[in-house]
Amino acid sequence: MRILAIDTALGACAACIIDNGLGEPIAHESLIMDRGHAEALVPLLDRVAARVEGGFTSLDRVAVTVGPGSYTGMRVGIAAARAIGLACRIPVVGVTTLSALLAALVADDNRRLLAAAIDARHGQVYFQVIAPSGQTVVAPTLLKVRDAVRLLGAGPAALIGSGAAAVAAEAAGIDLAVHDTRPAPDIVWVARLGSVADPAHALPKPLYLRGPDARPQDQARLPRR
Amino acid sequence: MRVLGLETTCDETAAAVVRLSEDGHGEILANEVLSQIAEHAAYGGVVPEIAARAHVEALDHLIDRALAQARLTLDDLDGIAAAAGPGLIGGVIVGLTTAKTLALVARKPLLAVNHLEGHALTARLTDAIGFPYLLLLVSGGHTQLIAVKGVGDYVRLGTTIDDAIGEAFDKVAKLLGLPYPGGPEVERAAEGGDPDRFALPRPMLGRPDANFSLAGLKTALRLEAERIAPLTDADVADLCASFQAAVVDVVVDRTRVGLRLFREAAGHPTAVVVAGGVAANQTMRRALQRLAAEAGLRLLAPPLPLCGDNGAIIAWAGIERLRLGLVDDMTVPARARWPLDAGRDEAGEKA
Repeated sequence: MRILAIDTALGACAACIIDNGLGEPIAHESLIMDRGHAEALVPLLDRVAARVEGGFTSLDRVAVTVGPGSYTGMRVGIAAARAIGLACRIPVVGVTTLSALLAALVADDNRRLLAAAIDARHGQVYFQVIAPSGQTVVAPTLLKVRDAVRLLGAGPAALIGSGAAAVAAEAAGIDLAVHDTRPAPDIVWVARLGSVADPAHALPKPLYLRGPDARPQDQARLPRR
Repeated sequence: MRVLGLETTCDETAAAVVRLSEDGHGEILANEVLSQIAEHAAYGGVVPEIAARAHVEALDHLIDRALAQARLTLDDLDGIAAAAGPGLIGGVIVGLTTAKTLALVARKPLLAVNHLEGHALTARLTDAIGFPYLLLLVSGGHTQLIAVKGVGDYVRLGTTIDDAIGEAFDKVAKLLGLPYPGGPEVERAAEGGDPDRFALPRPMLGRPDANFSLAGLKTALRLEAERIAPLTDADVADLCASFQAAVVDVVVDRTRVGLRLFREAAGHPTAVVVAGGVAANQTMRRALQRLAAEAGLRLLAPPLPLCGDNGAIIAWAGIERLRLGLVDDMTVPARARWPLDAGRDEAGEKA
């Protein structure tokens, strides 16, 4: 199976193409950026697809990060992924940024709790914890940094993600290993997770973890008789 | 020539396919529109983040439906058009990214259309009129008088210096406790009301420029309403009728001045065209009809489904641009603000 993976949800604009699940990418490009994903992504997809024989028509599946992350960023990736799915009539699967970050830890560490923390600003992190076996300990959630630390108990734990340093700084006396504080997941892991995901369940829908921040207003209304 | 058009600049998610026949006539093969009114109703107005969230969930399904309705595949198309602004940027990015990606994968020309240009050229789709003509664009986000001289050749003659007309209707509806969206509700309530009961101002009336102002009128209506609150149904009907009458007077006066400025800027118009969601208001249409007749001109108002936001007007603008070779590349940006005649100063924030 040939899969194209796309990630624009965090601090990178990235895509890669992998054959047969666990291999190395046959085309790959990742640009670190905080903003500008909307302008950068489609030309980047053009370059990545041009490097494989058959281009887009050779794809069997698309995987895309669905967040949590930048709302606008993830919608850019999801819109593009769904458009490719429509144009090529192939399945599109969603992969969370947290699980893509954790996948890199699972491959490396098998005796600690594994935690992914993404900086969500205002002293908060998007947070997920799994056991070395892969079992979920804390499902994806939005937390204050100190509440995230509390959920780690006594550890030991390995941390990854842009919020890892903030969590480690708050945790005193816990055995924490900050594995990586990179601004975005490794796109190769997005592809690998996407190739084993079930298209019926891993839908390419945004995972916001936060409401749209709007309040109903009717205080302006005049009384009626 | 067949073009797919995508529209996501405000609270309608839309996809349409339009065909240009050999005799130069436009034909709408599919026009799928999903309104988000229910999602925004509780807030009394469009919430940008809610709109963006809805667009990304719906757009690909609408495109699929539009293509099926038109009995076409992407390969059969000659171009992919999307409204690239002006509008709520989160939604615009969804539509434009989708169009760019489809264009890339299907190897079709991309047409990044100005949403206002979609409205400006609609009368050529429906009535095949020639240039130049006077356009009155009235919606929830826009209130402009434009000399349409050619594709890509627009002179803005007037705009609002504060609220858009549709926005003023919505705010009045909210004040009076009418449901959202307020324009049709105010019009309905006004039917049984007395338009002369409240002496509301007609802002800008008689001014030599063709600009609009709605804020003072809206405030005057609020003061009158507060003075007599609590309101009976008859009070609401009279307030709505008085407000609508004032707006229509202003629109007619501003359009008359617009016609005078038009002649200086572009010569003799082929027609007066009214477009945008507020063009659905029947009292306004009748008043504009009289004005046009006075000036010896035709009034053209697109059928109601083409007055509001939809993909067909974007697809048609795409056809107009494609046949002139005005194609865009993959790096074209989404724009929150994008005046039709980019060279001129901005008179108002909401323009």
